[in-house]
Formats: sequence, C-alpha cells, structure tokens
Amino acid sequence: MSFQPTRRDFLRNFGVSAAALPFISHLPSLATIGKGLRKKRLVIIFTPDGIVPNTFWPDEVGANFKLKSILEPLAPFQDRMLTLRGVSDRVRGDGDGHMRGIGCLLTGTELFPGNVQGGSDTPAGWSTGISIDQEIRNHLQKSLTTRTRFGSLEFGVMVPDHADTWTRMVYAGPNRPVAPIDDPYQMFGKLYGQMKDQETLKSVLDDLQADLATVKKQVGVQDRKLLDEHTTLVREMEKEISAARTTDVGHAVPTLEPGIRQENDNIPKISKLQIDLMVSSFLADAARVATLQYTNSVGQARMTWLGIKEGQHDLSHEPDSNKDAQDKLTKINRWYCEQLAYLAKRLAETPEPDGNGSLLDNTTIIWTNELGQGNSHTLDNIPFVVVGNGAGFKMGRALKYDNVPHNQLLLALAHSFDHRLKKFGNADFCGGGVLPGLT
Amino acid sequence: MSRSLPITSVLATSGVVLLVAAGFRATAQNPKPTPPPPGQKIYLAQCAGCHGDKGQGGAGYARPLRGTRSVKELAQYIHTQMPPGAKKTPAPQANLVAAFVHDAFYSPVAQDRNRPARVELARLTVKQFRNAVADLVGDFRPVVPAGDARGLTGSYFKGNNFQGGKEMDRNDGKVDFDFGPNPPVPGKFDPLNFSMIWQGSVMAPDTGDYEFVVRSNHAIRLSVNGEKPIIDAWVKSGNDTEFRGSIHLLGGRAYPIRLDFSKGTQGVDDKDKRKGTPSPPAFVSLLWKRPGRVAEVIPNRSLFPQVVPVTFVADAPFPADDRSIGYERGNTVSKEWDDATTAAALETAGYIANNLTQISGVPENAPDRKEKLRARCRSFVERAFRRPLTPAQEQRFVNRQFEAAPNVETAVKRVVILTLKSPQFLYRELRPGTPDSYFNAAQLSFGLWDSLPDPELQRAAAAGQLVTREQVAAQADRMANDPRAWNKMRDFLLLWLKVDEIKDIVKNTKRYPEMDAAAGSDLRTSLEIFLEKTAWSNESSYRDLMLSPTQYLNGRLAKVYGQNLPADAPFQPVQMDPGQRMGVLGNPYLLSRFAYLENSSPIHRGVLIIRSMLGRTLLPPPAAFTPLSASLHPNLTTRERVSLQTKPAACSGCHGLINPLGFTLEKFDAIGRLRTSENGKSVDASGRYISKSGAAVKFSGAPALAEYLADSEEAHAAITEKLFQHLVKQPVLAYGPNMLPQLENSFRQNRYSLRKLMGEIMVATVLADMNKSTKKAVAMGATQ
Repeated sequence: MSFQPTRRDFLRNFGVSAAALPFISHLPSLATIGKGLRKKRLVIIFTPDGIVPNTFWPDEVGANFKLKSILEPLAPFQDRMLTLRGVSDRVRGDGDGHMRGIGCLLTGTELFPGNVQGGSDTPAGWSTGISIDQEIRNHLQKSLTTRTRFGSLEFGVMVPDHADTWTRMVYAGPNRPVAPIDDPYQMFGKLYGQMKDQETLKSVLDDLQADLATVKKQVGVQDRKLLDEHTTLVREMEKEISAARTTDVGHAVPTLEPGIRQENDNIPKISKLQIDLMVSSFLADAARVATLQYTNSVGQARMTWLGIKEGQHDLSHEPDSNKDAQDKLTKINRWYCEQLAYLAKRLAETPEPDGNGSLLDNTTIIWTNELGQGNSHTLDNIPFVVVGNGAGFKMGRALKYDNVPHNQLLLALAHSFDHRLKKFGNADFCGGGVLPGLT
Repeated sequence: MSRSLPITSVLATSGVVLLVAAGFRATAQNPKPTPPPPGQKIYLAQCAGCHGDKGQGGAGYARPLRGTRSVKELAQYIHTQMPPGAKKTPAPQANLVAAFVHDAFYSPVAQDRNRPARVELARLTVKQFRNAVADLVGDFRPVVPAGDARGLTGSYFKGNNFQGGKEMDRNDGKVDFDFGPNPPVPGKFDPLNFSMIWQGSVMAPDTGDYEFVVRSNHAIRLSVNGEKPIIDAWVKSGNDTEFRGSIHLLGGRAYPIRLDFSKGTQGVDDKDKRKGTPSPPAFVSLLWKRPGRVAEVIPNRSLFPQVVPVTFVADAPFPADDRSIGYERGNTVSKEWDDATTAAALETAGYIANNLTQISGVPENAPDRKEKLRARCRSFVERAFRRPLTPAQEQRFVNRQFEAAPNVETAVKRVVILTLKSPQFLYRELRPGTPDSYFNAAQLSFGLWDSLPDPELQRAAAAGQLVTREQVAAQADRMANDPRAWNKMRDFLLLWLKVDEIKDIVKNTKRYPEMDAAAGSDLRTSLEIFLEKTAWSNESSYRDLMLSPTQYLNGRLAKVYGQNLPADAPFQPVQMDPGQRMGVLGNPYLLSRFAYLENSSPIHRGVLIIRSMLGRTLLPPPAAFTPLSASLHPNLTTRERVSLQTKPAACSGCHGLINPLGFTLEKFDAIGRLRTSENGKSVDASGRYISKSGAAVKFSGAPALAEYLADSEEAHAAITEKLFQHLVKQPVLAYGPNMLPQLENSFRQNRYSLRKLMGEIMVATVLADMNKSTKKAVAMGATQ
C-alpha cells in the first residue's frame, strides 16, 4: 500500500530544521501542557495459533483463582491482572479462521473480498475498518495534553517479510494495514536516529568551523562577506544543537547489542530488545499506544531454545489427544507469557518520570491471540489477559462471560481512554455496549 | 474576463526588470578630462532635480535611469514626455540630453563602465547541489540509457505469482492492457492464472513529486527507484482498481521501474477448485502524473527497457535560488538554505551508512575494512572537492574522523557530513592563483551539466590535460552531446520562454470546449517535444527554433488545431502552413500561456518577445492594471482594446515597444488556433519594431516576425548572453567587453547551433580565466 509516509513527508511535517531539532516531544511547549495528568497507555501483545485451554484458563471465577501452567509466569502480578474467558470473535465473512482471527481481532469488522486464499473458506483481502489501537491513538493525538511524537509504535518479532492478511493486525483504516517494525535496530533508528544524527553533526562542527576559516583566507575581500554570513549560520546551528541538548531525552538511551540477525533462534534476544525499547519509548513519552506482534497468524516459530524442533503452527493442528504436542504448545505459550511478564516487570520497576507511580500503574497490557484453540480454529473464547492498572479496571480476577462479542471489549478499551464510542467495528456486535464487569 | 492574470503579474515577476534595480550599485566614477558633453548642462539644470545627478533617482523619481532604449527612442521619449506637465522639452535639447544620459549612465555599456562586473563567489545552486550529491553517491552513472530502445521489457509467466515458468519476454511500448476474460496471448496461458513483470527505466523530465498510478482489478505492485514498492496492492482487497504512490525525483534522469501483475489468488493453492469457473476480466495500466500535469499512461518515449541503477535523491526541501536577474544563481546564503544543506548532508550520510557495503564495495568481513573504507572516504572527499586533497585536508576531513569515531560507520557518516557541509563542496571553485586542469574540469562540468566532473574529466584533470584550447574544446564537445547537457539546455529554453513554471492551461470551456485539463497537459508536451527536436538534434539551430514549420501533435491536439490524425495517435511531427505558423512563436502551448481565458494577450506576447528574444529591458507599469473587459467593449478587437487601454502617455512609452510586437501574433487566439476575424472584424496582425541601433522595421503576421528574429543580431546577442548567464551563473561582462561579441561571432560561424554555442561558451570562459590569471601574473611580475 502507498499509505506509509515517505521520508519527504516526514521532513515536510516536521519542518526544514527537523534534523537540527530535538525530540519533538521534548519541546517545552508539548512537554509541559499535559503536566499533572496521568499518562494512560495501552499495549497489545499478539501471539499466534491459539492456546491450550486446559493449561491456560483458570478453573475458578472471581478473585480467588489459581494460575495454571501457561499463566504461571504472571504470579507476581496476579493481583494486577484479569483473565477474560468467554469473549469471542463473532465476525464472519470472507477469509479463513486465521485471516479473520488476526484481521478482525482489533478491528471488530469484516475483511474485504480479495485474492488471498486460506486453507478453507473464501479468499479475502484487508480489513474493512480501523483497529482499536489506532482509533485510541488518533483520539490521543487530537488533544495537546495527550499528543506524543509518534502516537503509537508498532513492534514486531520475526514477522515474515511479506504483507498479507495473516501478517497484519494493525489497521490505520479500511485497506490500510500498518506493518510492524520487527527489526530492533530500525526501531532504535526511529526513536533515537535524530538524536544520534545530532551527535554526529556536533562532532564535526569544530572541523567545519576551522575549514571555513581556512577557506575564508583564500578569497578576496569582496567575496568574504558571503563566507562571513555562512560562518554565522554555522555558529547559529551549533547554538541550536547545544540548546536542544540541554533538554535531555529524560532517560538513558539504551545501547543495543550489535549484529543480532533476524533469525528464528534469535527470537528471545529480539523479543527482549523490543520490550526494552518499548519501555524506553514510554519513558520518553514518544507514544502512549504500542503493539507487539510475535510472528504472524499461522506463525511457525520453532522454539529450539525450549528444546522444541517443530514449528508452532504445525503443532497447533495436533488433536487434544496428542499429549506431547499439547505439552509443547503449553511450553510455547508459557514462553510467550514470560515475555509479557518481563514487560510487566520492567514497567512495574520503572517509575514514571513525572513521579506519578510506576509505568505499570498507568499502562494496560492486553495479551491476545487470533484463535481460541489451534486445532479447531475456533474464534470463540479468544484468549484475553489484561495486566496493569492503566485502564482503571478492577484487577486480580478471573472473569467469565457467555460468548460475548469481542467488540464489547474493544469498546471498553476506548472508554478507558475517555473515548466514549457507542460502537466499534461491526455495529451488530456492539448492542451489549461496553463489556460489563471490568470496573 | 479573467482577473487571475493581471498585466503586472508577467511584468513584475520577470527578472529582467529587476536587473535595472539590482544593477544599480554605481559608485566608482571616473572623472573625465574631456570637456563636458553639451547635454550634461541641460540635464543637470532641468532633470537632475528629480532624477539625481547621475541618474540614480531622487526625490521626484526614485527609480534609477537604466535601460536599453536607443538614443533616438530616448530623445523621442524626453521630447514627448519630459518633464511631466504641459511644457515639454523641445526636440533639439531632448536630443542632447538623450545622448548624454545614454552615454553617461543609461545604457548597459555605461552601466558596465560605472560598475565593472566581476566574477563573484557563488555557492552551488540547488540544482547543482542535488545533482552533485546524486552523482557523488552514485559514482556518476549515465543519467539516461543510451540507444533508441523505448518501452519496458515484459516477462509473461504461465501461472499466478510468477509460477509455472516464463512463457515469453517481449517489449511492451507502454503498459495499458485490457485482456477481458482472455489471457495475454490466446492459447498459451490459462486464462484464470497468469502473471507479468514489466521492468526497465522511466525518465523524469522535471524535478518534483511524481505520482504513479496503476489501474488494475488484480494484484499489482510497483517499485520506482528502489526495491521497496511505492504501490503495494499485491493483496487484492475490496473493489478499488486504482492505486497511487508518490516519489520525489530529480529531473533529467532515468530511474529503475518495475511493475508486477498477477491474476489468480495467492496463499493456499486453489487452482483445482477454480478450474472450469468463468474467467474474470483483467486489465492493467501504468500511469503517472508528472509535476503540474494530469495523469496519463506513461508514454513510450519516457520508458526504456534497460534497467538503470538506483539514484540517491536527497529529499530535503531547499529554498529557491535567487533569480532576480533572470537566471538562477547562488549569490546568497540563508538560514533556510543552511538548514537544508544540513538535512541533506544527514540524509546522505544515513543513506551511505545504511548501504555501506554496496556503495563502497568493501565487504563487511574484509580484514582491512577500516583502511579500505578510509581510502574510499578520501576519494569521496576528493570528488566532492573536485581536486586532490592536501595532507592537511586529508588529516581534517578523513583521518581525524576515523580516529575520533567509535566505529567505522560513524566515521563514514562524519566524513560525509563534514564534506557536504564544507565550503569547498558547497561553493563553486574558489579562484586559485592560476586555474589548473582541476579548476577547468569543474568549470566545464558545472557549466554544462550542473554537476561534478565525471570520471573522464577527473582523469583529464589528473593528467593535467585541460589546459590548451584543443583539450578543453574536445571535452566540451564530448560533454555537450551528453543528455545532461540537454537537460541544462532544456532548463534554459523553458526559462528563456518564461514557461519554466508549469501552470495549468485554463480556458473558458464555453468558448474552447476542447481545451480541457488533458489537452492542456498535452500542449505542454507539444512544446517539450518541439524544443528537444528543434533545438537539440544534430543539425538543428536557433534559426530552426524560430522558423521550423513543424509542430508536434497527438490525436487529441490535432483535432483542436485542424490537423488530420487518428484520435488516439501518439505525438508526432506535423507540418504546419509556414505562411501562417512558424517556429516556437507558433507553438500552441506558448501562445496559450501568453493569453487570457478567452482572448489573446498581445501585451504578454509582446513582453516575451521584447525581453527574452530581443533582450531589451522594460520598466514595470506604474500601477497594476486590470485588462479592459472584452464584454464591455463588444465591438472592439483585442488589438483595438489593448490600444485603447495603453493610450495614456504614462503607458505608451513602453507599450509603444510592446504592443506592435505582440500584435503580429494576433492571428492566434487564446489557445493558439488560427483566426482571420474577431468580433466580426478582420484581424490586423501588422506590427513594427525599432531596433537598439534605431532601425525601424515593419512586418505583418507571425512568420514575418519569426524571420526577423531569426536574422536579428540583437536577438542573437540576447540568446547568447542569456545562455551564458544560465551556464556560467555570472554576468558576461565579468569576462570582459569582448566576450559577448566573440561568442556572437562563433554562434554565427556555427550556423546558430545552440549545442555548439553551449560548448563555445564554456571553452571561452575557461580560456578567459586562464588568460586573466596569466596577465595578472605577468603584471605582478612586472611590479616586483
């Protein structure tokens, strides 16, 4: 699609001096406006191919519940989490279960007819609607008090390098899928490239001034005026850069271990880098909304670091009776849960720069999946786990619903950001209003 | 009547007027021992009160007295107009005053005498900067593929998604297919599943944002100047059949382009399931919307089957260069400009660092990677500075950066940023004691190409083989035959014709229903092709530009201009009646541009002729005027209406020159179509001109005017001087009083070939620099 802004758009949007300016969010005018307000954030983590219901869902309902194998890594956060069982993706239409699973997950609406053929059902294209993270992002970007440099950041881990219905979860609008950035170095460049550029620029300024002085001596008196003016401009630039740097980025810029390639076996390293970058981006208030997409719908991660040689999607087709496969799927999903727990831990340990508690106090993480279970391809009982206190939900409970459309949960997320939508996605699934029982 | 095109817009935006103001910096006056001319006394007594004692302007009339009128014209003007009020200067006194004024400060010669022009230090123009950066990063590859082959190479596959084997490669002149339910070639393909790749290059004529448009009802993907698609509709989704993507391109260069098309589904193979089902229709078209133009199928002439390498185009927007004296030049620096160079330097450094292995050719695992990259960096700086580095420069620009940076990537970035910000890159050659071959190489390359010396020039410079006239001329000759030189000439011609800015041709749709946006866009193409064919082919010349009976029309335009071509005919030469229409002044685009919504504009046309073609200066009108409304004067012809409006004495001074020239084109209406009558009266296309030397000429109709301009020495001098300024970006008088006559002479000897004139100008400039410095050296030797 041609909707990604080009470098030129960027320069246009941010003005000629983009390169010589500090982080936009650190301009005093933007940074001070929202002072005193809680910086509410939303993180959505996607992992593929369904879960193992028996080892995932707590048996109990209410505040007294026991974490089963997959969710055990969340034990330190048990009083700050919710499990939402019985929330279903009821959207139908074109596309197979995996395609609708990921394509309707955050959009709550149908896919366009198209040319992507799944393993069953009719071929389909992109989603017909915007995804909830982008909806909330746009809502936050509208107000000066909640506007941030990027609004949202789309992280990925080993997302296959082709754009199709199975690899895209986030939509900026109908037919406008947003590609996640699964290269931590690229994400680093997006977050800190300008600052690094300025450092480099600054490092050559002395040599540049010296060069100008040398050259000035070589021209006649009449021509010196032009070079004098030029010298003044370079001095001005130096002052600007120095001024910009007095407004520090507010946190230690992370250093990335160099040379980690995009390879299956590096998934754990990439995952950690991306989570660390996400925490840094929150510290810099570069975005209030983030998504983190592990592989893709039908994802085939081979978790060799857990001793599992098979691809995840192949395993997910095995019947419930295949105990070995179900054990492995439990391990795989438990590993994903560890990533979630790592993010929660980082957020809990990190104080808000404005002193308003920890990052986790103001952040809501949703962990979800395109399927309820892999072998049945069911879109019922989509896994939804909530961690963190950003949304103001009453936490520390296992909740159970009776096959309610997930659009109601999407509405609840919007409302938690004071975005009082009446419907989101397909209106037919919004009749029940905001998902009850959360607050 | 249009109010969107007031008279002042053309007059005031033209640079030549401002020459008068900008050129007024007279300070040095040489007192003459000769007795004062008789007119001086009268002038000082009666005129200086308002105009200042040196014509510099005063309390009564602030504008300095500068211009190109002949003594006779000036005398006539003074006699009839001066002083303001009832009592005018008698003719004998007016003659004396005119002679004095003309010689003392009014004429260009006097101005030059009063303020000796000199070659001023100048930075690269924006065009030069952009080209230089592109060629620096891209190692100076040809800008356009050689040869006459046009169109794209289409590879046709038997299955969807390029499966099933390639059935054929063929040349497709353009991509504009409607297959219906059928395969591309009957019998050879499964109508349900096939795919194509079209590859080659696309030539961008102008610098700007290009919007590419693909129309198709199946999967498509388009890449331009890079692997990353600018349109990705490989996932077919919904009913959209038109997809758009934009990219910024530098004019005069070709860029790699690739369009993928696939009919059928992707993902899980469902061919068996679909077997026997009816075949849906398929179409695919590749269009573009050039800057300021309407969308059109990319024409055959803009496509090449050869795939050229990617060109790095820095996106950073720049402020426009100064053009106040009629040509772009780098005579000022500003904050915006400095910021733009910084942004471009950072962008370039980032691009090079991200593609370091490919650009440097140094493998990532090379044991001596650092040393090799350092050597590559040194060569980068040398090419940027157009000469070898001194040890001190090498230390500053390369070694220090490699020593101080934490890693080689950062070192490379530092070198690139420092180099592109250095005045040694950003400014045209600083004048050394004696111009050497390096200096001359850069003069030639910026003059003819607006870019850095290419490898061949670099070699000649390094061997010291750019010193003699023969050596310089041989290089200039080679370079003038490169497409880069045409690009610079094209810029010049568009500037000369005052149509460098692309504007929509908007006409009254009731009166000219056929002149819609598409036809207007085609008109521009008709001028562009005319210029290339008429001014640039081997045998062509300035005289052809004026006298050629050929115009270039397609089917749509042929219908408008009464020519017989099939409706869908592509652009082609069409012979016009030379008794009616000749050369560039008969080009329908030009005639349409210098016209209003409904009516011709003899004033705009006259101003173009007098300023651009005859090189005369005009003052701006004393106030902004709205043209008299044609509807209020239904019985008048345009000629009569214009004469009526410009009758007042305050107008007739200039309009006495302008109108009679513009009137000769009155047989062309607002879209440049022939007419014999207007408002029931027959069109009077007679006109006249008094040359600078005072000779009065009368002519009737456009061909007579064209013939006059083709022969006019005044016109030859004008185009020579303007071309000189465009190439060298300095005033011609800075190279001495003999430069222009010498160039005019060689222009004549070369039968008015513009291409040869281009080369001659640069050869003469280089030699003049060498002579000047030799003389200076001799003079300095004598004083020691």
